[in-house]
Amino acid sequence: MRRELTRLNRRTLLASAGAAALSAVTGCATGGVSNREAVRLGPGATGPVQGRITAWAWDVAAQALKRMAEKFEARHPGTSIHVRDIGYDNAYDKITVGLRADTGLADLLYIEGQRLPSYIGTFPRGLHDLTPLVRRYAADFDRAAWQTGVSADGKVFALPWDTGPLALFYRRDLFARAGVDPASLKTWDDYVRAGVAIKEKTGSKLLIMDPAENDSLFPSLLQQQGQHWFKDGGKVALDTPAAVRALALIRELGRRDLIRWERGWDGLVTATKEGKVATAPSAAWWSGTLTGEMPELKGRFGVLPLPAFGAGGARTSNNGGSSLCIPAQSENPRLAWAFTRFLLTDKDNLVSMLRREGLFPAYLPALKDPYLRRPQPYYGGQRAWQVFADLAPHIPPVEYTRDGPKAADIAQKAVTAAGMRGADPERELRSAAKQLAGATGRKEAEAAHSGARDSAHKRLRRGARPATATPAARGGRPGAAPSRLVPPKRA
Amino acid sequence: MVARRPRLTHWIFAGPATVLFAVFFAYPLGASFYQSFTTTENGHTRWAGLDQYTRMFHDPSFLDSMANTGLILVVQVPVMIALALLLAVLLNQSWLRFRGTWRAVYFLPAVTTLVAYAVVFRVLLKTDGGLVNQAAEAFGFGPVDWLNDPVWARISLIASMTWRWAGYNAVILLAGLQSIGREQYEAAAVDGAGTLTTYTRVILPQLRPVLLFCVITSTIGTLQLFDENYTLTRGGPDDATLTPVLYLYKVGFQQMDFGYAAAIAWVVVAVIAVISFLQFRLFGRDRK
Repeated sequence: MRRELTRLNRRTLLASAGAAALSAVTGCATGGVSNREAVRLGPGATGPVQGRITAWAWDVAAQALKRMAEKFEARHPGTSIHVRDIGYDNAYDKITVGLRADTGLADLLYIEGQRLPSYIGTFPRGLHDLTPLVRRYAADFDRAAWQTGVSADGKVFALPWDTGPLALFYRRDLFARAGVDPASLKTWDDYVRAGVAIKEKTGSKLLIMDPAENDSLFPSLLQQQGQHWFKDGGKVALDTPAAVRALALIRELGRRDLIRWERGWDGLVTATKEGKVATAPSAAWWSGTLTGEMPELKGRFGVLPLPAFGAGGARTSNNGGSSLCIPAQSENPRLAWAFTRFLLTDKDNLVSMLRREGLFPAYLPALKDPYLRRPQPYYGGQRAWQVFADLAPHIPPVEYTRDGPKAADIAQKAVTAAGMRGADPERELRSAAKQLAGATGRKEAEAAHSGARDSAHKRLRRGARPATATPAARGGRPGAAPSRLVPPKRA
Repeated sequence: MVARRPRLTHWIFAGPATVLFAVFFAYPLGASFYQSFTTTENGHTRWAGLDQYTRMFHDPSFLDSMANTGLILVVQVPVMIALALLLAVLLNQSWLRFRGTWRAVYFLPAVTTLVAYAVVFRVLLKTDGGLVNQAAEAFGFGPVDWLNDPVWARISLIASMTWRWAGYNAVILLAGLQSIGREQYEAAAVDGAGTLTTYTRVILPQLRPVLLFCVITSTIGTLQLFDENYTLTRGGPDDATLTPVLYLYKVGFQQMDFGYAAAIAWVVVAVIAVISFLQFRLFGRDRK
């Protein structure tokens, strides 16, 4: 009674969870369309595309889709593409419920790369298998981004749109005032040293982190070192030397009071706009926010390759990036695919979306466009896109699994504990790894600490899931994926 | 009157409610109960027995969320009920002017939309430049990291819940107070009781059923807490403000571990049932 009004929220929440259970009770598979013949989508289908589809996206992606839909419709009479901006906050709840209930989704979904593996793993029949259609494009896409849409058994369920190659955005004015030469930032140690000097001279901290949501720095630092939450065929990789190095860096930044903690996207944007921090280790898409939300800071920012873990380490990583995929429940997948191909495999369209919406293409031929080599006034005349284009091919591809969100959630505790309270990274990660192994029924990648773990966690396993945790894992596994679709390694 | 066989008319009247209940309450309840004994694996649902339930006892996040709820229950509910009682007594005074306005004002937070409430509190509690910190700094206190420090985040959560629900409970208690006639106060005065004695010995005992109602609904509300911590802190930092319902949302909707989420939901139901039963037995005992 006391919360009558708000209980309504909970009730709808629980009711939708219950509705989602419908398929479980009636015995039909939860993996998506199975008892309904999916509309055929393959190279065999011919004739002009027609009809109407809906596409779900948000923010700049929705803007880009709307703009491109008009162009597509003009070129293909008899088609109509309805783009809905579903907003970021509940987007994934909507998509999850739609996949689970096997109804109610759009024909085209925009999903971020780090979310994709968990959808593909949880709903293997929920999305259209695009393998026969996209095979010919495999070599044209960024390898790390491509990998997010590949299932454990090598099927491709999504086509990458944009990637998030990571670089270091820095404030030219603050660096100059502190007398720090940006070119001297080669390693994370240099970065911490520069941060101390900048804070002393200007009072600005070094970077912003979010205390409650963890899809930014820590996983990026892992990927920079060639691993993600899991490695070696789906084993928990939170307790590895690479993870300890990453968290030790965050603790060092916290210990020297160089981190500014801000909750949520708004906090991040506001604090950046107010010049509270001197740098942002962030992805190419951050540029769209800078130019869009803080035009008054024109000329203040520069872009550097990411500092490395030790000399010779990778100078970039990945954060975000997204793909388009077609739910199996779509009734017009042919039109959805035609539109997807038009958007994502056309150099000019991709360059136009980079220019207008700041979406950095995963389609490599687009990165050779002369537009990327132009100096940009916002970055003080620096060829900023070229920096990202040069870094993109060096993003270390990593292994993804469907348990990514769970790992992110559990690792978050370790990150805040080390960054805010200076807790011991090794101990925090050990307990996080243990918790993650227990929650997912997976083994730990490096059993250096204890051999008794596995038996202790057997009882906790989520049903028979471990039975399927065969070495191939649920995520795509670069190198070992049984698929010829993995593009060859680029130099 | 002799019971007659149900006729069509009966069903026409009872029908809509029955159908709605069956579709939107009975079915989801049954389905989620079933789901709590299953697990999903490569898109297939499989019977998992009690695994999802035993998992909880070894899950640090779930245990943290229960501990947080326990803390809120022990600290926030008594503070809020006491405050609500004080407000109700004040609002019941005959000398108070603009009584209707005051009552409406105290009730307003309970009907404010969640989004507005969250935005306002986030602005108030911002670490730098937030109104609360500006006021604190005026009195010489350093800026407090209201939402990003585990201890302060809990305090902020408790404060915002109290802000939102104290007035609501005060209005309910006020209704209870108004059912107590003036002659009781007069009789107490004639017997020589002071104001305090009148309230503790005469008024409060009669208010017991209403207090019980407030305590139980507040307890249930606390055990189901989701909105406040979802909007303010997302359960962070460091799981300091995580509650079972927020956790089940994360498990179900973000981690897509549906069976486990359903099991958590049913454990919350069981805990609510047990605590409510105990409260009835402890505080409602001398009802005739």
